[in-house]
Amino acid sequence: MNFYLTYFIVAAGLFGFVALFTMFGVYAERKVSAFIQNRLGPMETGKYGSLQVLADMIKMAQKEIIIPAAADKVLFIAAPVIIFIGVYLGFVALPWGPGLIPANINIGLYYVFAIISIETLGILMAGWGSNNKYSILGAMRSAAQIISYEIPAGFSIIAVVMVAQTLNLQDIAMQQGVLSAEQVKFFGLWDVTHIGGILSWNVFKAPHLLVAFVIYFIASLAESNRAPFDIPEAESELVAGFHTEFTGLQFALVFLAEYSMMFLVSMIGVVLFLGAWNTPLPNIGAAKLANWTTGAGWGIIWILLKSLGLVGVQMWIRWTLPRLRVDQLMNLCWKVLTPLAFLCMLISGVWRLWVM
Amino acid sequence: MTMVKILFYVMAFVTLGSALVVAAGKNLVRSIFMFFVTLFGLAGLYVLALADFVAVTQVVIYVGGILVLILFAFMLSGKEALDKIEEQSSKFISLKNAPALFLAALFVVIMLNVVFKAQVDSLPWIKVAVETHNVMPVDGTAINEIGVNLMTRYLLPFEVISILLMVALIGAAHLSRREGANQT
Repeated sequence: MNFYLTYFIVAAGLFGFVALFTMFGVYAERKVSAFIQNRLGPMETGKYGSLQVLADMIKMAQKEIIIPAAADKVLFIAAPVIIFIGVYLGFVALPWGPGLIPANINIGLYYVFAIISIETLGILMAGWGSNNKYSILGAMRSAAQIISYEIPAGFSIIAVVMVAQTLNLQDIAMQQGVLSAEQVKFFGLWDVTHIGGILSWNVFKAPHLLVAFVIYFIASLAESNRAPFDIPEAESELVAGFHTEFTGLQFALVFLAEYSMMFLVSMIGVVLFLGAWNTPLPNIGAAKLANWTTGAGWGIIWILLKSLGLVGVQMWIRWTLPRLRVDQLMNLCWKVLTPLAFLCMLISGVWRLWVM
Repeated sequence: MTMVKILFYVMAFVTLGSALVVAAGKNLVRSIFMFFVTLFGLAGLYVLALADFVAVTQVVIYVGGILVLILFAFMLSGKEALDKIEEQSSKFISLKNAPALFLAALFVVIMLNVVFKAQVDSLPWIKVAVETHNVMPVDGTAINEIGVNLMTRYLLPFEVISILLMVALIGAAHLSRREGANQT
């Protein structure tokens, strides 16, 4: 029975982590946006506004949950829950360190890719259930965008998988450091199996994987509905998109899902391209930095730092670039990213056959 | 009862119950969302049958693709059309329903026949396979086998299906082109 108890503890721990990350994420987002726009951001509540998020949370929990009279009540109430669960289930298969993975599934990557698509359904549910034209327009834009951008994201992932030859996320992580069982080559030329560190990450295994990483990152921005791809909630056109009608705790759940999604896509990017829980420090001669800084505890630190770094880049991009128009968004996806991702997949096959 | 058996019955109940709601529900949009539950229960049953790849594929294709497309069609068709469907009479036994009832009854007969006559535990080809050790171990290498088989033994069907999809894509692109677009 202990066996099942561990599962519950891990699930609760992951939920706690997601909630904590959302709290810090909201605060960081406000401070980063303030920094980029040369403002101060929240300053009144607590030292440097550090209690602002807590105050917001208490305010949100107190608010009345309003269900519009013409809304489809069942769908309206279920939608935020489904949106959040879809994202939260994705964390099941992500590795945190050597030997530290909630569920070591041999098709982990495929599973994560599948389970994220539930979010689309939740968003459509929210849009339809609200019975509001802005909500439904936002939901349809969101679904169209997520479905379109799944294609370049999927093909850039396939480019990595073809090089890694496995769908098990823990195995993919293992291949990118000193613990690797097979030979690791820096750009296919220099054997770095025992050097490890940043040199053995997947992005540096082959030149085209750098391109694949950029494609994946752009597509992941679109999948988590972040600027510059935030037309589903474009404030200037659609009020707030699919979550216009939600208040109080329901809105909090939607928000939680958005920030968890940011972290989830960043973490998948880190696992696939940026060495997962492996250290960025290589072995240099007698200084075995990579061997010293690889382990379960170090793994959690490294993967957290890397994922938070990627989340930081997402925030930086959000406050730097203007929003894309719908036709520009689709042009970028179908005419630029998709052919490039196909090319990456082709090169991956050739690379695996002739170079590795 | 073991955990697996309990899970099987829970999944089977969820699948059948939600499928009934889908078929009997009057609100079409809710039916579609219930269908999502059915598909998920089905995916759970696949996992219990040790076909995890099929389960995940089921979620990718049906939940991520087909359900969303059905919803798209609904949301583009407007409320009036949907209301008209809901107004239809819901008498269970009427002349309109006779062909459907007939087909359903025939299908039940076939299903029951299969269930009772097949004797799944003692199929001859399974016995032969076990005797000659022509079986696959459940150790997570199933996807490798699927990949190898798709690229060798089932290459021709695989390519034929891809050509079919290609034809569908080109057809869709052709249909959605604006008439007289070359004049502007």
